[in-house]
Amino acid sequence: MSYLLIVDDDEDFATAVATVLRSGGHDVRIESELSAAIRTMTERRPDLVVLDVMFPENSTGGFEIAREMRWNHDTLKDVPILMLTAVNTRFPLGFSSKDIDEDWLPVTDFLEKPVDLDVLAERVAAILKNRRSAPASVPRHAP
Amino acid sequence: MLYRKTVRAFHRSPSSRNCREARAPVTWQVLLVRDHPLVFQVTCPLEGRAAIPPMEGTSLHSDGMRISTDSIPRFSYELPLPVADQSAPLPAAEGVAAVLQEALLIGNLLWFARLRWMAISVLAVFGVAGLIVHDLFPSLGLRPPIGWPFLIAAILLLANLVFLGHAHRIARNPSPRAATWNLWTQIVVDLLALTMVVHFLGSLETVTPFLYLAHIVLACIFFSRRQSLVVVAIASGFYVACVGLEHWQIVSAAGIYLDPGLRQGMASHPAYLWLTVWSALGIYFVVWFLASHLSGLVREQEAELAQANRLLTIAQQEKTRHMLRTTHELKAPFAAIAANAQLLLGGHCGILPDAATEVVRRIAIRCRRLAVEIQEMLQLANLQSADTPPPSVSLDLAETAQWAIARVGAVAQERRVTVDEQLASACVVAVEDHLKMLLTNLISNAIVYSAEGGIVRVRCDAMPPGGPVVTIEDEGIGIPQEKLPRIFDEYYRTEEAIRHNKDSTGLGLAIVRHVAVNHGIRVCVDSAPGRGTRFTLRFPFTG
Repeated sequence: MSYLLIVDDDEDFATAVATVLRSGGHDVRIESELSAAIRTMTERRPDLVVLDVMFPENSTGGFEIAREMRWNHDTLKDVPILMLTAVNTRFPLGFSSKDIDEDWLPVTDFLEKPVDLDVLAERVAAILKNRRSAPASVPRHAP
Repeated sequence: MLYRKTVRAFHRSPSSRNCREARAPVTWQVLLVRDHPLVFQVTCPLEGRAAIPPMEGTSLHSDGMRISTDSIPRFSYELPLPVADQSAPLPAAEGVAAVLQEALLIGNLLWFARLRWMAISVLAVFGVAGLIVHDLFPSLGLRPPIGWPFLIAAILLLANLVFLGHAHRIARNPSPRAATWNLWTQIVVDLLALTMVVHFLGSLETVTPFLYLAHIVLACIFFSRRQSLVVVAIASGFYVACVGLEHWQIVSAAGIYLDPGLRQGMASHPAYLWLTVWSALGIYFVVWFLASHLSGLVREQEAELAQANRLLTIAQQEKTRHMLRTTHELKAPFAAIAANAQLLLGGHCGILPDAATEVVRRIAIRCRRLAVEIQEMLQLANLQSADTPPPSVSLDLAETAQWAIARVGAVAQERRVTVDEQLASACVVAVEDHLKMLLTNLISNAIVYSAEGGIVRVRCDAMPPGGPVVTIEDEGIGIPQEKLPRIFDEYYRTEEAIRHNKDSTGLGLAIVRHVAVNHGIRVCVDSAPGRGTRFTLRFPFTG
């Protein structure tokens, strides 16, 4: 069982995701406030963070949280991040794993909303599996 | 999977072999060279309503009757491409007229140089005539031109070479200030040369002083009123100086006429002389007044049109931005709805009654359709709003087509449509995602609007005359002739298309149109109701 943190201000969506992930046997917590996300992570280090991009007060808050985790917190820099978003600001046709970048998009993998929950569950499982097989490094691309 | 790969004829030229290695971004302008188009041909049934496979030699007409396909005419339609990019943003309103004028100046520097070659040629021919048929001139009462046409032609030739060199440097590195300097120098040199011609042909007894009018009118067209007045003043000054120098015998009077009486008559009394001069100057100013006034009116209208176009462009961009924002705003709550419907269907909330499951299933289906529509709306809006397009790369057309075919493989399998591919390698320069989108949309349409059990043929021939050709062909129903010009419109769906495929968003071919226009790809649709539709894509040559 892994501890997963969902950082998303849309509680309806986050609850649905949490339900599916819990049914997979994981311990899941939802954090809907961007300002509290890092604190929640430092209180208990998650095995994986499911992170939204757009928040009511900060339209790129998800990117900033990801960079904050990677650059400023030794305990969080290796935590895998699965980014979920409806936004697309850089590339015309949507993000994809090829756009993941240490500086701009420092996440492990990316899924665009609306997301198939089965696909999401598979992706989470794959990231956690890679994580267990290579604990010292951040998995870059889920299959 | 119902793929049938019949022939794999990969013709790899040295350039196409290096396609994968040459994936560095290439400048956008390269795409717009149309002299040597690559050809990409796609044939597909775009629409149709019957799931009945047509019998051999027959097909289903739009009214449902089986008729002989031999008698069905095919109709063609080519998507019009803009002749030039008019989407470039213009500066603020007050700068529009100035920008137009600067563009006019830079654009016409080379044209002025070409006009000067003509003047040089005329002078040279005149000079040669003076040498070869020297004796003919006196018999016509004319003084043979000795040397001066060559002298003036040489001055103009030297000046033209300098101007041309400078103009080419300006063309490579546009500079309005340098262009203006070049043009004013050209004007002064031309007026000086013209004054010499006036002197040698006769400043009083011939009509050559009216040649100044050509310069004055050109100045009125290309310059502001004040600047063109300066040209009139320079021309007038040169002419008065010419006549004055001759009158006070600082320069000996020349003239083409042998009879000295003609000039002496004009110059015999100061009143005759100055009346002639002032008449000429008066005409210069009248012509300047009329030409500059009319030119100013035309320029104002041009500026107004440019301004209106600029405002329209801004409004379109704002509309697109608003649409993008709205779509994104809709996407988040929609994702929550879709996720919760999946929860119910997945049994995460317990077992639902059959009737409730059916309702949730319908919700989930509509969610999937809406997801596709939102994605296409975003793609289209992004294509419309892209001020700076993503970088273009060298792509293998065959590989990209194969990627697109694989992408729509599930749809083909679901509809029992066979995709028959015959693809040869062909290198093109394009935005990878955009080209994939274009091909995916066309091949997907070919499959979706095929009859069940039909065949979609995708061809890419790398070595036909003029460039590679790719064709996709099937046994679909096709598009009525009168509907062909509208199929690329946003949200346009024919009744036949809706009957055949309720999931159609009407955005697929609008996306194709935008990608084609952005890449300079010529799209030709060739369709016959009851027999299918062929899309021919002619790519610009990439070297």
